[in-house]
Amino acid sequence: MKDVYYPDIALIDTVRDETGDVKTLRMRFKNPDTQKNLSYRSGQFFEVSIFGIGEMPISITSTPSRKAFFELSVKNVGLVSAALHRLPTGSEVGIRGPFGNGFPYEEVFGKNLLFVGGGIGLAPLRSLINNVLDNRDNFGKVIILYGARTPGDLVFKDEFKWWESQPDVTMLLTVDRGDEKWTGNVGVVTTLFPRAGIMSKNAVAFVCGPPVMIPFVIRDLLELGFTDDTIISTLERHMKCGVGKCGHCCIGHKYVCIDGPVFTYHEMKVMTE
Amino acid sequence: MSRYEENLWIITRDNLFALMEVFIKTREVIAPVRGHGGEVIFYPIETIEDVAWDWQYVNAVLPPKRFFLPQTEVMFEYRHDNSYKITPHYDDQVRMIFGIRPCDVNALIFLDRFFGGGSLSKESTDEEPLFPDSHYIKRRANTFIIAFGCHQPGENCFCVCCDAGPFLEEDYDLQLTSMNADYVVEVGSARGLKIIYGNEHFFRKASSDEVKELERIKEGALNTFADTCAYVSKAIRRITEGKVDDSLWEELAERCLDCGGCSYVCPTCCCYNIVDIALSDKSGIRTRTWDSCAFAGFTRIAGGEILRSDKKDRLKRRFFHKLSYRYIEKNKRHGCVGCGRCITTCFADISMPSVIEAVRRQ
Ligand SMILES: Cc1cc2nc3c(=O)[nH]c(=O)nc-3n(C[C@H](O)[C@H](O)[C@H](O)COP(=O)(O)OP(=O)(O)OC[C@H]3O[C@@H](n4cnc5c(N)ncnc54)[C@H](O)[C@@H]3O)c2cc1C
Ligand code: SF4
Ligand code: SF4
Ligand code: FES
Repeated sequence: MKDVYYPDIALIDTVRDETGDVKTLRMRFKNPDTQKNLSYRSGQFFEVSIFGIGEMPISITSTPSRKAFFELSVKNVGLVSAALHRLPTGSEVGIRGPFGNGFPYEEVFGKNLLFVGGGIGLAPLRSLINNVLDNRDNFGKVIILYGARTPGDLVFKDEFKWWESQPDVTMLLTVDRGDEKWTGNVGVVTTLFPRAGIMSKNAVAFVCGPPVMIPFVIRDLLELGFTDDTIISTLERHMKCGVGKCGHCCIGHKYVCIDGPVFTYHEMKVMTE
Repeated sequence: MSRYEENLWIITRDNLFALMEVFIKTREVIAPVRGHGGEVIFYPIETIEDVAWDWQYVNAVLPPKRFFLPQTEVMFEYRHDNSYKITPHYDDQVRMIFGIRPCDVNALIFLDRFFGGGSLSKESTDEEPLFPDSHYIKRRANTFIIAFGCHQPGENCFCVCCDAGPFLEEDYDLQLTSMNADYVVEVGSARGLKIIYGNEHFFRKASSDEVKELERIKEGALNTFADTCAYVSKAIRRITEGKVDDSLWEELAERCLDCGGCSYVCPTCCCYNIVDIALSDKSGIRTRTWDSCAFAGFTRIAGGEILRSDKKDRLKRRFFHKLSYRYIEKNKRHGCVGCGRCITTCFADISMPSVIEAVRRQ
């Protein structure tokens, strides 16, 4: 019987600074077979261990369509994330998972896809975006709307050009506060909606971002004709075990770590603390 | 009745004592023992004389939960020399729990489903476990259960309302019921039967009169329970339908002290925290410890926000988790076995029966 609490060891191959407080780590399992056998869905997460400090849930931001490594983007916010930020390349960390349900993928073949991201919330979406673009023919129109507090807080900037250059992709950025160099849109992410050419017909919207952003985005999406079942988001809860046992992530009848973190707006609406 | 074996056995008190002394030599035997303050707790015994034989107390103040999910346990140790080496810690101690009551056995069956994805004392499980918890499962598989049926309820017992007593119908190894000066033994599992056949000289088959007498004892015991429990199903329905007004939880929240005692004494509460402890630059342990949904920090996320910050929501969560129908479907029973320990423990009179009664009155 596999011990669900037993972490595998992974190596940090490269570290990329996304912003002042977000790093993207490219990693691989130390055991080549574990890496080779790794299979996951976009939207799933790992429990990442820094031994002696603790463990935290982090979305897998790489796409399952590219093997040989996986990537995590981590914002420095507390004990474990700060410890991970301090690690040089070549360091070892513990990894359990993948856990969680992940985004629908095969289920949205042929559909038009709208991605709405805020801040580090782009991390799980990035996995799905790249997975969609690597299999471009399976999907309809793709619109990516992304906002952050300041230009310096935008993550995955290196990839925006490639996303934009793919066939039938609209990509718009915004920041809450610009700086001298910023010539793009200023305002919350919903201010991009009128310019994005969004059509709700045969479309699914994926929304990930800070909790303050979600209700406004959903309100506007409903107005545009999206329904409770075509709006898909993720829930952030305190997590410890990741396997539906410790109780920390429970809300309503759901264990977010195994039943989520991906839910339709329909499912989220009926959950009570 | 669904005993493992239809035969009933009789063991005399002297033989039971002698048999238990044999077990004590070969495994850790946990039994109800009277502590220095007079309270009864489950504790490893060195001789069968240690057991609190008077049964004045009906049940121990704490359930034997900690022998399956310890208050703190080491999950693994790590060591970093050139590379990390992780050594899992498993508790392989062979144990016997002697004198466990039916409510607490039913709580274990509940935990079996939750941690193991199936009923562990049965030969086959009815579901493929999703993420089985090997730490719990190993302890449970290594623990032999000798339950004692209850002739009469304790002050706060309401197992009859919770389908959890005063006798077990299945999912035990052996169940003893005192009859005159002897004990009737029911066999509930293959390993229970093995114990009988392996020690046959201590037992004799019960006569048909003794079989009938046991039925009479069981009927009589049921009649000693007050029928205060007609409202459990009403509470289940109203909580499931979301028809309990928040004012009920608000009232309780004014009294609740956030102490978490209710969760700690509850035989089915099993939320835990995971904590790393560095023992040196190069080594340390990962532990898990009991936690409680009563604590505000239980849902604290990075940045300091507490998702269930309102105490009324935390109280609601505890009773919702125990009583809501969707959880019952998943766990195959509701999350209370009627042991009454939350009644004894709570300073604020917030217990399963008091909440069920408040729901009825609302
Ligand atoms: C499914 C899921 C996916 C996530 N994906 C990402 C991601 O891709 N990138 C990213 O930067 N962040 C992500 N987060 C948030 C991230 O888990 C927290 O920022 C992180 O746990 C903070 O840990 P810490 O030790 O640095 O903070 P501290 O505040 O010191 O937290 C201590 C411990 O509390 C728990 N905890 C605290 N905050 C959270 C939280 N928000 N969610 C769950 N547990 C928490 C963890 O066990 C953590 O180790 C995700 C959270 C969830 C639930
Ligand atoms: S035992 Fe009573 S006071 Fe303590 S947390 Fe539970 S309900 Fe609140
Ligand atoms: S809720 Fe109270 S009565 Fe029910 S099992 Fe838990 S401690 Fe016992
Ligand atoms: S994180 Fe432990 S139950 Fe979900």
